[in-house]
Amino acid sequence: MTRRDRFRAILSTAARRLRRIRRIARWEIAQSTASYNRRTLLIAIVLVGVVGGVAAAALSLGVASPSPNTDIYRIGIDDDSPYNQVIEDTPALVARPPDASALDRGEIDLLVGFVQQPQAPAGEPQPPPTLLVERAPSDKGNAALTAFRSAVQSYNDRLMTQEPNATAAYPVVVELRYTPQAGDGAGSLVGNDDEPVAELGNDTDGTGDGDSGDDGSGDGDGSDSDGGSDGGDGDDGGSDTPEQSAPDIDSDDGSLLDRALFGGSTSGSPAEISPPFPFASLLLAFLFLVPMNFIIQAYGSSILNERISRRGELLLVAPVERLDIVAGKTLPYIAVAVAVTAGIAVAIGGSLLSVLAVVPIALTFLAATFLGAMFARSFKELTFVTVTITTFLTTYVFVPSIFTNVTPIALISPLTLVVMELQGEAVGLGSYVFSTAPFYLSSGVLFMLGTGVYREEDMFTQKRVPLKFLDALDARLSGVASVGVLTALFLPFVFVAELLAIAVLFIAPIELSIPLILVVIAAVEEVAKSIHVFAGFESDRFDRSATTALLLGAVSGVGFFIAEKFTVIAQVVGLPDLALGEAALQPAGVTPSTTLLLLAGPLVLHTVTAGISALGARRDFRWYLVALTAATVVHAAYNFGVVTLYG
Amino acid sequence: MIEVSGLRKTYGDFAAVVGSEFEIDRGEIFGVVGPNGAGKTTTLKMLAGLIEPTAGTATVAGYDAGDPEMRHQLGFLPEESPLYEDMTARSYLRFFADLYDVPRDVASDRIESTLDRLELEYRDRRLGDVSKGMKRKVAIARSLVNDPDVLIYDEPASGLDPLTTNSVLEFTEELREEDKTVVFSAHNLYHVESVCDRVVIMNEGRIIARGSVAEIREEHGDTTYHVYSDIDLPETELTADGRHRAVVETMADVEELQDAAKAAGGSVTDIRTDEPSLESIFLELTGQQMPSPRTATGTDAASEAGGDDAEPMPDASEEPPSQPEGPQ
Repeated sequence: MTRRDRFRAILSTAARRLRRIRRIARWEIAQSTASYNRRTLLIAIVLVGVVGGVAAAALSLGVASPSPNTDIYRIGIDDDSPYNQVIEDTPALVARPPDASALDRGEIDLLVGFVQQPQAPAGEPQPPPTLLVERAPSDKGNAALTAFRSAVQSYNDRLMTQEPNATAAYPVVVELRYTPQAGDGAGSLVGNDDEPVAELGNDTDGTGDGDSGDDGSGDGDGSDSDGGSDGGDGDDGGSDTPEQSAPDIDSDDGSLLDRALFGGSTSGSPAEISPPFPFASLLLAFLFLVPMNFIIQAYGSSILNERISRRGELLLVAPVERLDIVAGKTLPYIAVAVAVTAGIAVAIGGSLLSVLAVVPIALTFLAATFLGAMFARSFKELTFVTVTITTFLTTYVFVPSIFTNVTPIALISPLTLVVMELQGEAVGLGSYVFSTAPFYLSSGVLFMLGTGVYREEDMFTQKRVPLKFLDALDARLSGVASVGVLTALFLPFVFVAELLAIAVLFIAPIELSIPLILVVIAAVEEVAKSIHVFAGFESDRFDRSATTALLLGAVSGVGFFIAEKFTVIAQVVGLPDLALGEAALQPAGVTPSTTLLLLAGPLVLHTVTAGISALGARRDFRWYLVALTAATVVHAAYNFGVVTLYG
Repeated sequence: MIEVSGLRKTYGDFAAVVGSEFEIDRGEIFGVVGPNGAGKTTTLKMLAGLIEPTAGTATVAGYDAGDPEMRHQLGFLPEESPLYEDMTARSYLRFFADLYDVPRDVASDRIESTLDRLELEYRDRRLGDVSKGMKRKVAIARSLVNDPDVLIYDEPASGLDPLTTNSVLEFTEELREEDKTVVFSAHNLYHVESVCDRVVIMNEGRIIARGSVAEIREEHGDTTYHVYSDIDLPETELTADGRHRAVVETMADVEELQDAAKAAGGSVTDIRTDEPSLESIFLELTGQQMPSPRTATGTDAASEAGGDDAEPMPDASEEPPSQPEGPQ
C-alpha cells in the first residue's frame, strides 16, 4: 500500500467515524428532547428567558432602580426649605408638614427648620438663619438623623460633581492607585506591566494637558491611564473651561452597565471612594456557570439511562468505537454549553475571550459528570455526584476570581479571565494557558477514564463508586509502561489540587501555610503516583511480588518527574513570585550548581516514594494506606529540606 | 462460521465459562442450554465481542470476536433489548442501519421487507406504545438491518405469548434457509429442541453434553419400550384401559416378551418407544429438578460476579406438553 493509499484510508476511516459520531449526536438530541414534552420545554425556555431578563434588567438598572426602602423616615420640613430637594432625592426620606407636636405624637421622625438669629446692627450684614434639626426621642429618630445627614452629604457631593468649574469644586485632587500585593508579579499576569491593575482617579485635568476629564467619569476606575495618571498637579485649575468639568455621574459617557461594571461613581469625595471590588464583573461571570448545572443534569441522566436500561449494549455491539459513541453522546451538550456561553458573552458585552475561557470549564463539568454517571448505580447516586461536581467546580472557579484584582492566584480559575476582560484588562496568552490548560487536560483525562469503563463488563454491573473508580483506572492499564503514562496524565489533577491548596492557604500566616502546603502537596503527589498501581494489583493485572511493585513504583515516579516539568508554565505567569508559589513550585535561590541536584533529587524522591506506596499496594488496602502515609512523610520531609536549603 | 477454542472467562475467583470448545457451520442453528449461571449468556457475549475472554479464542465469520469488522457480519439480540421508546420502529431501525453504514435505499427496502416478514404493524407508532411482542419483533428486525451472516439470539422468545413465540421460532427457522448461522439460547428446551440442529448443554461454565438432539438423547437418555399384550404375563401390569403393559429398556427384552406372550397363547399387540425429552436429559445431567412455578426465578453467582446469566428459570406454565407416545 502506497503512502497515498494509506492517507486515503485514514481519511476514509476518519470520515466514516465522523459520520457515525454525527449520527449518534443527532440521535442523542432527538432522544433528549423527546424525553421532555413540548409543554415542559416551552415552560423551561420561558422560565430561562424570564430569569435572564430579570437578571439583565436588575443588573442594568441596578444603579438607578428605586430602593425598596422608600419613605422610611418622615421629615417635617417647610415646602420652601432648601433641604426639600435633599429629601426628594433620597428615597428613604419623605417630607411632612413641619409640626412640632407631630414629633411628640410620633407622626414624624425629624423636624427640620431654621432659627432666625438676632438682628445685626444696622449697616452690618444680617446673620443667616441657623439650621435647627430636632429628632424624635426614639431609635428611629436617631436613625432618621443619621440618614438625613448622609443624604445632605451625598446631595452636596452631587452638587460638586455637577459644578462646571471642577477646580473650584475640587481644589485638591488626590490620585489613588491600587496595586497588587504581589508587586511586579501581578503586572505580568495581566499582560500589561505598564499599567496598574486598578486605579482610581479624578481627572479634572488640572494639569492643563487639554484632555477632557470625561475619562474620569466614564471609566471611573481609572483604567484609562489618561484619566488618572495625569492628575497630579491641579494647582493651575484656574482655567475654567467647559472641557475641564468635574466628573459627572449622570453624563452619557459611561453607560449604566459600564458604571455597574467599573464602579463609575468612584470619583468624588474620599469618603465615597470604594476599593475596586469587581462585584458586577463577578456577578456577570457567575452567569456563565448557571446554565452548566442544567446541562450536566440532562447529560448525566442520558448516560445513566443508557446503563440502567441496558440500551447502551446495542451500541456497543454495533461497529462503532466506544470513543465515537461517547463523543456522539457528548457533542450535543458541548454544543449547547458553547452556544449558551456565547449568548451570555454577547449579552453582557464579553468577547471571544470569555467564551474561550468558559469552554474548558464547561468541558470539565461535562467530563466530571460523564465519569460520575459511569460510576453511579442509580439516579439517586447521580444526583449526589452532580451536586458534588457543581459545588466543587463552582467553588473552584468562582472563589479565586473574587481576588482578580488582589493576587495572581486568582488565575487558577478561567473565570478570572472573564472578570479581567469585563474590567477591560488585557489577558496574555500565558495567563490563558495557565488558567485553562489544567481544565482542558483534566477534562480529557476524565473522559478517557470514563470511556475506559464504557464497555459491557463495567457499564451494567453494580459496584460501589470507589470500586468503579479502581476499575476505571485498571481499564487504562495494559503493561508496566502504562503506569508511567497514567501517572503523567494525572498531573493536571495534581496541579489543580495543589493550586487549590495554595488558594485556600494563602491567607494563613506564612509560618503556618508553608508547612501545611508542603504536606498537602506531598500527599496529593503520592496519591497520584500510586492509586492506579493499587488498582492494578487489586484487579490482579500485576503479580504481587516486591520486584514488580518496585518496578511499577519506579516507572510511576519517572512518569511523574517528566510530567512535573510541565509546571514550568506556572513560571510564565509569575506565580512563583508569591512566597507560597515559590515554596510549592520552585524554590528560590537555585543556582546553576544546584540545578543537577534539583533535577536528580526529585527523580530519586518520586521513584523511591512511589516504590514505598507500591510495596503497600501489592498487599491490600490497609497496607496501601500505611505505605502511602510513609511515602507522604518522606516526600514532605524532602520538601521541607529543599525549602529550608534554598527557600 | 464460528470457532471457539478454550474459551474461558473468570471474575476474580469465579469461573463463569471454563474451556468451551465448539464449532458451528454456516446455515446451522446452534442451541446453547443450561441452568442459571451455566455461562450461556457470557459465552454468547464473548462471541459477540461484548465481553473480553480471560483466555481462549473465538472467531466469528473469520474475524476475532470483538474485531470491528466482525460486527458488520453479526446480528445480536440480547435477552433484554430495551428500545428507545420515543422512536418509531422505522426511525429506530434506520438509526441502526446508519450505524452499520447501510445505504439509505437498501436500508429502507430491507427494513420494510423484514417488518413484513415479521408481520409488524404500527411501524410509525412510538415504540413505548406497542406491545412487548411487537417490541421483540422490532429488536429481531434490528439484528437483521445489516444483513449479517451470523445471528446470536439470547432467549429470543423470552416472555412472549405463545402466538408470538411460534412466530419468532418460525422466523428463526426461516433464517436457516437463508444460509444464516444462528446461535440460539433458550430456557424453554422445547424451543431449542424444535429449532436447533445441534446443541450444547452447559453447567457451571462447562459444556457437559453436545451434538444433535438425537445424538444427545442416544448418548445420555434412557429409551424405554412400552410393550402391550392381550394376555397377562408376569412382567405386565394392567392399565386403566384394560390392557396389559410391560415397560422394558432393551429390544432384547421386547423380544423375550413377544416369545413369552406367544408361549402363553397370546400375542404382543403394540410396542411404543418412549424417548426422553431434552429437558429430562438436561435435568438429569445438571442434577436439577423441575422447578416449581413459585420458585422459578432467582439470581446466580455469575450475574453477581459480573456475568449475565441471570435468566429466570422456565415457568411451569411455559413447559411444552410431553411428547405423545406413538407406535414404533
